[in-house]
Amino acid sequence: MGDKNKADTSLNPKQRSRREFLENAGTTAALASAVPVLGISTAQAQSDTESTAAKTRIQLTVNGSRHSVDVEDRWTLVEVLRDQLDLTGTKIGCDRSECGACTVIMNGKPVYSCSQLAVWADGAQVTTVEGLASGGQLSAVQQAFVENNGPQCGFCTPGQLMTATALLSNNATPNADEVKQALVGNLCRCSNYNAIVEAVVMAGERSGGAA
Amino acid sequence: MSEAIHIGLDPLNTIGNATARVDAVERVTGEAKYSRDFKLPGMLYAQILRSPHPHARIRAIDTSAAEALPGVRAVITGDNASVVWGAGSVSGGRQYNDPTKDATLHRRYIFNNPLRFVGDSVAAVAAIDRHTAEQALALIKVDYEELPFVLEPEAALEPGAPQVWPDGNLCPDFRNNFEPMVSNLGDVEAGFAEADQIFEERYETSFIHNAQMEPRAALAHWEADKLTLYSPTQGISNCRHDTARDLGLQDHQVRIICNYMGGGFGNKNQNQDADLVAATLSKQAGAPVMLEFSRRDDWLGVHGRWPTVQYYKIGAKNDGTVTAIQMRGYSGMGPYRKNSGGISGMDVYACPNRLRSISPVYTNRTTSGNFRAPSEPHGFYGVESMMDEVAYKLGVDPVEFTLKNMRRPTDDQPFTNYSLDEVITRGAEQFDWASRRKTTPGSDEGPIKRGSGFSFMMFRAGVGTSSAIVRVDAQRQYTLFVGVTDIGPGAKTTMGMIAAEELGVPLDQVEVVAGDTDRCPYSVGESGSRTTIQTGYAVMQAAKDLNQQIADSGMPTGSDVLIASATPNPSTDGKTRQCFGAHFVEVEVDTRIGTTRIVKYTTVHESGRIINPTTARDQIRGATLQGIGQALHEDLLYDPASGQPLTTGYYRARHLTHLDIPEIDVTFIEVDDGYGPFGAKTAGEAGIILAPAALANAISNAIGVRMTSLPISRDKILEAMA
Repeated sequence: MGDKNKADTSLNPKQRSRREFLENAGTTAALASAVPVLGISTAQAQSDTESTAAKTRIQLTVNGSRHSVDVEDRWTLVEVLRDQLDLTGTKIGCDRSECGACTVIMNGKPVYSCSQLAVWADGAQVTTVEGLASGGQLSAVQQAFVENNGPQCGFCTPGQLMTATALLSNNATPNADEVKQALVGNLCRCSNYNAIVEAVVMAGERSGGAA
Repeated sequence: MSEAIHIGLDPLNTIGNATARVDAVERVTGEAKYSRDFKLPGMLYAQILRSPHPHARIRAIDTSAAEALPGVRAVITGDNASVVWGAGSVSGGRQYNDPTKDATLHRRYIFNNPLRFVGDSVAAVAAIDRHTAEQALALIKVDYEELPFVLEPEAALEPGAPQVWPDGNLCPDFRNNFEPMVSNLGDVEAGFAEADQIFEERYETSFIHNAQMEPRAALAHWEADKLTLYSPTQGISNCRHDTARDLGLQDHQVRIICNYMGGGFGNKNQNQDADLVAATLSKQAGAPVMLEFSRRDDWLGVHGRWPTVQYYKIGAKNDGTVTAIQMRGYSGMGPYRKNSGGISGMDVYACPNRLRSISPVYTNRTTSGNFRAPSEPHGFYGVESMMDEVAYKLGVDPVEFTLKNMRRPTDDQPFTNYSLDEVITRGAEQFDWASRRKTTPGSDEGPIKRGSGFSFMMFRAGVGTSSAIVRVDAQRQYTLFVGVTDIGPGAKTTMGMIAAEELGVPLDQVEVVAGDTDRCPYSVGESGSRTTIQTGYAVMQAAKDLNQQIADSGMPTGSDVLIASATPNPSTDGKTRQCFGAHFVEVEVDTRIGTTRIVKYTTVHESGRIINPTTARDQIRGATLQGIGQALHEDLLYDPASGQPLTTGYYRARHLTHLDIPEIDVTFIEVDDGYGPFGAKTAGEAGIILAPAALANAISNAIGVRMTSLPISRDKILEAMA
């Protein structure tokens, strides 16, 4: 996060482009997204410790609940989820689109929430790992992860689960190659890849699309 | 799903049955709280300013503008925060030893001057949010005097090389002796004289970042003179002791909490500078402080496996008998000797004449330290590549060559058991070694060439001390208190299974309390593959004690409880205790573009009795894949002109992704040698030791050229084929 203050010899164009987004794109998006709020929960920072940076109010639906949040232009979606909404299941592994630990489903698609500005999420439908189970029942892919040791350290697990969930909603019974293609953006340094792929295939076979 | 094959022992009541983790639901629902997931009232966020230079002296630091920024609550530098980080520096592999940390000449502080690598900490800021902290870093003005730097260990030992420390670049050991680590057995010169042929080669291996998914973080919180640290550590007890010593506190004044942590593979042992920086900022600011490393902070500010250069000289008779093994090695430690710099491997051979000399060397690269099997994968790659070459040059099958030359129990040094013959023979059979390997390396016609390689090992599985407490209440609910943190292998579950087995109750009747030094007794720390053996044995003994108490006085009633604790210090009665393994791999190398594809990968391990088949299977598969990444891709490249690191991240270091993953066949030969908990041995580090050697041998078998440098990346294969 402090990278830009250092003599960074970064050659990663992804990182560069994201930084330019963060520095240049925020203002425009903020102007376009100011909307009124009526009778929905508002997350606020403590007033005595609040940053003086300008904020924009956004509304988003996370795991079925509507939220209105005043966000700084420089905040990313994962910061809003973790810091403002206390949904800490979504992890920050690299904060620069490399590892996939922060993957959430936004408007039906898996995205890296570290690389989505919060203002871009105005009006969005977001699902995080906390939203996968319903009524105390694990989803099919969560259950398969439990049974086939999907998590080792577990830090990449929420991201793997979100991408797998998005895959299963488009392809009910993926084979191992299709799972690998879909999950290529989710790294696991425990290298528990075999078990993860087996679990996703198993979830598809069991539920036949009801995941 | 793909299950491991288990041969030799039947499952017990709980142990040996495939078991879901006791905390699996928390791990798949996002309920599991990692260090950065905690938030305390009034919590500040911290960032570290890091050196942009590989070697520089700080002439002056001006923090006034940073301090004046609204929202900044504390700024610390070497000028106002002189805190020794004992575990960060010279330990010579004795990192658990307080006298070593006190005696060392080369002391490391949380802020050092001169700065000795790109990423060395210069200053730290705590502010009301992370963006304000980040802004404040940009306002710190540092006047650097740039100094000459050196990146390569051999160059660092040349006369006139830039000096990382004033005493020269050969690292001192824990007694401040500036000498290589030498082990000398028999008479190597006599062994060479006895040989029909002499073989010599230079091997080199790269820096491998541990690259765990969770970047380092620390949340520090003081209540009066008691410090609570939420820190991702592999050993809460060691972390507490180290932190207390570094801050001048007693152990009981520090509480470490770590219920979940996102991997470490050896770089979250002990305490870290992050713990000390967060604690110091928190003290100064009078508020809880959360220090979060970025991925780049983590890549440069923590550590990875030391890069090595290894010169081998082997003497052998024409009948395939090895008569002498000599290795002179250099390990690049970065500017602080955090761990040993060891290069293992030659001791798996029976040859009576062995001479090894390793020089751990200071450089201006980032710090090196322990990575899963700290001394092994690079060392086994070197020596087993060497032996593979000798075998083919002598016209001997490498498996036959190994069976002839590998170390075996002797009358002088008995083993608790020995399975290497069975491990190798079974692996060769399952893999179909005889028909897959190329008798003449590189003999495939055409640009796409197949070949097969093999490697074998034995690795320490010694016993040792640790502690556990077990309690039962009147409702027959059992609670197990163990100081494990569960870094990924599933220690909470394994400990619970051992307790359930010994207590004769189902696993769901045992609650496992872990990851908090105020609630749990000492545990050895999840490093060195010791937790199952050592803490597991303590669990077993505490449960035996509790069973005895129940037999003597009956189950407790009302609000009574029975409590048993154990801190056993077992021995192996003078016998060597080892785990064993062999890996066989077939590859397909496209010599036009230099890519390597794994066609078949077979592993056979004897790790004693397997407690949980599910997690043990994935320890082998995961570690093997990490070793494959080391063999084919990973490196931390530096620009020689500027001393700047170039591959500080997952993409740039080319870590394996889902698309790179082959099937890994796992077979466990199970044995109960009568030691450890129910005969359990080392598993966590076993898989990574063999992958680089097996893969390198397979590639050489395919293309007919010996690959002497890791990683065996595409450019090196193209160069070899040119």
